[in-house]
Amino acid sequence: MRVIKGAKLVAGTALLALTLAACGNATSTGEASGADAVRMKVGEPQKLFYPGDTVESEGAEVMAALFAPLVKYNEDKEVVNHIAASIKTSDNKVWTIKIKEGYTWHNDEPLIAQNYVDAWNYAANQENAQSANYFFGRVQGYADLNPGEGKTPSTKEMSGLKAVDDTTFRVTLSQPFSQFGTMLGYTAFYPLPKAAFGQDGKVTEAYGRQPIGQGLFKMDGPYNKGTDQTIDLTLFDKFRGEKPKFKKLQFKVYTSAETAWNDLQAGSLDVQEQLPPAAISTAKAELGERYIDQADAGIGYIGFPSVATRAYDDIKLRRAISMAIDRKTITETVFSGTRAPADDFLNPLLDGYRPGACSACVYDPDAARKLYTEANGPKTLELGSNMDNGHKEWIEAVANNLRSNLGIDVKVTPFEKFQQILDELDAKKYTGMFRSGWAIDYPSAENYLTPVFSTGAIKDGSNYSGYSNPEFDELLVKGDTAATMGESLKFYQKADDLLLRDLPMIPIFYYRMNAAFSEHVRGVKINLLNQVEWVQVEKVV
Amino acid sequence: MSDTAAPRARHAKHARSSGPPSKPPAGPSRGGRAARGAKPAGLWGDAWQDLRRRPLFIASAVLIGVILLMAVAPGLFTSVDPYDAATCRLGDARQAPSALHWFGTDNQGCDTYARTVYGASNSLLVGLCTTVVTVVAGGLLGLVAGFRGGWPDALLSRVTEVFFAIPSVLGALLILAVFRTGTVWTVTFALAVLAWPMTFRIMRAAVITAKSQDYVVAARALGASNRRIMFRHILPNSIASVIVVATINLGVFIAAEAGLSFLGVGIQSPEISWGLMIADARPRFLEAASPLLFPAAFLSVTVLAFIMLGDAVRDALDPKLR
Repeated sequence: MRVIKGAKLVAGTALLALTLAACGNATSTGEASGADAVRMKVGEPQKLFYPGDTVESEGAEVMAALFAPLVKYNEDKEVVNHIAASIKTSDNKVWTIKIKEGYTWHNDEPLIAQNYVDAWNYAANQENAQSANYFFGRVQGYADLNPGEGKTPSTKEMSGLKAVDDTTFRVTLSQPFSQFGTMLGYTAFYPLPKAAFGQDGKVTEAYGRQPIGQGLFKMDGPYNKGTDQTIDLTLFDKFRGEKPKFKKLQFKVYTSAETAWNDLQAGSLDVQEQLPPAAISTAKAELGERYIDQADAGIGYIGFPSVATRAYDDIKLRRAISMAIDRKTITETVFSGTRAPADDFLNPLLDGYRPGACSACVYDPDAARKLYTEANGPKTLELGSNMDNGHKEWIEAVANNLRSNLGIDVKVTPFEKFQQILDELDAKKYTGMFRSGWAIDYPSAENYLTPVFSTGAIKDGSNYSGYSNPEFDELLVKGDTAATMGESLKFYQKADDLLLRDLPMIPIFYYRMNAAFSEHVRGVKINLLNQVEWVQVEKVV
Repeated sequence: MSDTAAPRARHAKHARSSGPPSKPPAGPSRGGRAARGAKPAGLWGDAWQDLRRRPLFIASAVLIGVILLMAVAPGLFTSVDPYDAATCRLGDARQAPSALHWFGTDNQGCDTYARTVYGASNSLLVGLCTTVVTVVAGGLLGLVAGFRGGWPDALLSRVTEVFFAIPSVLGALLILAVFRTGTVWTVTFALAVLAWPMTFRIMRAAVITAKSQDYVVAARALGASNRRIMFRHILPNSIASVIVVATINLGVFIAAEAGLSFLGVGIQSPEISWGLMIADARPRFLEAASPLLFPAAFLSVTVLAFIMLGDAVRDALDPKLR
């Protein structure tokens, strides 16, 4: 009860902040300290900064500046070693990872292989309730740490995870998985220093507020979620790899993409990763070189909460809803052509995508209405979305499509923040359709399937639709254990076919990255994981 | 109207003349002379006679009449029903005004003219309901507080001071944030809660002035009960200023509703409201101005009409300002 009240009050103040900003008093807090910093827009992180508990984009953006991953991805979507000196395997089952020497934590502790072992064991342990728990499911001994609800794990370590010496550790998977090396660039695979753990062996809350990383930047002070409007970072001078050419980085927390866009134009914000749709048509002319438009691996969905309600159980109903949505016009009119209509559960940017795979994604209002009547669909549907970051317009357009093509009433439920929908879905409190989206964690077709639709991801992952199909899970295992990438893809595509038949969510569009940066910075590049490559950024005075 | 106007008229004349007790009889006779043998015209009759000749009143009354008609029967103005989503075609979004779409189309491809016409009803409903609630609640409490004095007056006055201390937009935002979805009724509630103290104060002041008038003393001497004095003598003589303020406030409430809907806490889509239309059109104002300008113009004209009406009524009711 207390929590709910609190949340409402926060909603009130957030609105007030929005009001003030809308009135033109856009001077946000932290202006003075941020004057010489490179300032980037983020939404409020869903949680504090625990690497194993951050599975959403906003927290991950901040963490990417604090931590350096084992591997990165180049422009050809290939894996390149970063902290890792080498990643070797002969059978896709036993992986030997060697890290480069000489890296240290922000507190001068040396970075050692044991840090990775500690962090991964911690995230994989069900006792610690980490959202990224699921990513370690393929490591041998994962089951020992996850005996199920109500039971206590017999050990604190996975048998498949061993530090060989200070710079080498070995990961043994329970089954071969050809994509394991690709996964290692994700937030969940960051290491943790000794200092992160409290006396009880848990990562302390103090650490979550002010994490000690081993990346380009360190945090200036603890972050108070909900009250702090900025997250201030300073360059970590002792970072051994290539360093950015500026000293200070500031993440500014916004609830509205439009406010951020106004700030960017006014020069009080430097980098914005996703412009509001309404700004896109004018941004190019206004910013020229400072406007970035590039293909993005993200997908926008509308999901059905089958965990919380049986109202959407009929496949015909979901198919009818999907066919009633005019994706082409929405991407053209609402997004000014900066999104592409989706026709598969895989994104065209990655291997495995098949154009036109989704037959239910073809706009056919007559067939949709017929199917909807056959399925005896409800007279009223609910569609929930956060209205910030420019989602309002396309959600309204979808609602209008459903209203006119299915002849039903659609109630659009606004949420203050995306995090609020996720929380209510987690708690099974919200039973309407919901907007969702997926940005990849690592460049593999598998990443569109396992974390979003597998049975295991319902509890710990991002499977908010609650899709659970043994056949699908089995195909994923086959894909994971196949000897070559090509063979893996075949199984993933078969799994994709099941999704296209069952439609636990309906793909609406493929994102494009519409970013912008101010005159104060140069060389902003955004990588495949939608994170800014800070090393290349320069501050212009 | 005519039979109730007569007794009220007598008191109204008393109220206006602050002369000695011998003077009152002159009132009706003077009124009688003016009307040349017809029924004596009272305060309200006088006001009406006066209003009829004022261009300001006529203009605002005509405007309000048209907008009221729009609210009650929008079908008379447009054959398009904007509540039917089938009339919106996303492919036709942001068209300039044309013969087919007089005000152009909005970001969802809906007809702006039809939406503007249908938007009148929610705005007027909020304005009228809030006004009725504030006049009834604030008026009655003001009457009691002013007439009784003592602790009820002290208590109510302190309560209103608390409400006056709350900035109205902030207060309304907070109240509406508690309700998860805004409707006509929640907006009315939020506005009324914050606006009744103003009516209360005006009523209380008017009642305190009226209470000490000679006709009240006379009525009491004749043995009239408190209730009779309050409702038959004091109320009719103090209601005029409340009605003036209420008329002006009606326009203000309509503007406030638009403001709250604009901020996203007022009336929610798919309901239509001018504030909501302005909010929806704002991000793309540079691409398509008409979906913002037309509802904004209707909103301004409506608010202006009510404020003009209030001004005209005040001038008619308060002869001192003539």
